[in-house]
Amino acid sequence: MTSRGTPSRFLQSVLQNGVGRYVCQLKRISIVFSRKAQSSLGVREFIEEGVVDYAKKNPATVVYVSPQSCRIPKIVAEYLNGNVREEIITSKTAPQISDLLTKLTDQSGLDVIRIRKPFHTDNPSIQGQWHPFTNRPPSIGPIRPQKQQEAE
Amino acid sequence: MVFLTLSCWIRSRGPDRYWKVQEVLKHARHFRGRKNRCYSLAVRAVRRAFVYATKARRLKKRNMRTLWISRIAAATREHGMKYPALMHNLTKTSVQLNRRVICDLAVTEPRSFLSLAKLARARQQEGFRAALGDGKEPAGVFSRVVLLQ
Repeated sequence: MTSRGTPSRFLQSVLQNGVGRYVCQLKRISIVFSRKAQSSLGVREFIEEGVVDYAKKNPATVVYVSPQSCRIPKIVAEYLNGNVREEIITSKTAPQISDLLTKLTDQSGLDVIRIRKPFHTDNPSIQGQWHPFTNRPPSIGPIRPQKQQEAE
Repeated sequence: MVFLTLSCWIRSRGPDRYWKVQEVLKHARHFRGRKNRCYSLAVRAVRRAFVYATKARRLKKRNMRTLWISRIAAATREHGMKYPALMHNLTKTSVQLNRRVICDLAVTEPRSFLSLAKLARARQQEGFRAALGDGKEPAGVFSRVVLLQ
């Protein structure tokens, strides 16, 4: 895993989210599980108890519950910037699934790759960035209008 | 007559070779020459790349520190001082800024850096006066050490 071989990005927020209003970046959640299999036991328990509360707490996110015959239950989370994240929830308990859902809700949809710096500013320099002439005194004096001494 | 030995000669090898090869080649795609296409060359190159990456994690810290030090030295020489004098006098005045922050100040905040350089020079002068003088003059303003509890 070299730094040039793997993708990386700078720390950013989606359209300065949170400076004014906070918009939840999670657009849609689809819970794919099976009705009878043993691996979806925790999912079924979560859907009995926790899903409605979660949907009421996050009115900006659409929750789809789709029971299908599938071997591995999944949560597919789609974000406002178009990224899709799939989390596999085989043999997870209901509290673990709700923790996972809170984690997905708090995430912005940006890629989970190496962040180059843990800080970011739009205005890094307040006094003006250094350039070779910052600490040099000017070679000519201030420019004044020429006094025409010869009388007109 | 039925030929049975022919079917005994067919071997079924592993089914996953393509994906195992791609796992290695995906780390070699940005290399130069045949190392980015041919598996046997790529395996060696990828292993070297990972070894270099592991070793470089220690070197990066050293290199960044030398970069900061050379930038701070250049900035202090613009103001007529030298790097060791600046750092020593800043620590004596209990200014606990590390080299990374002082380097960023020198680049983005040149006037604050000038004030730091002036502080260090004042402390240096007080140190000279205390060393060369009689001991009858009081120590200067910047030589007072504040103990925060």
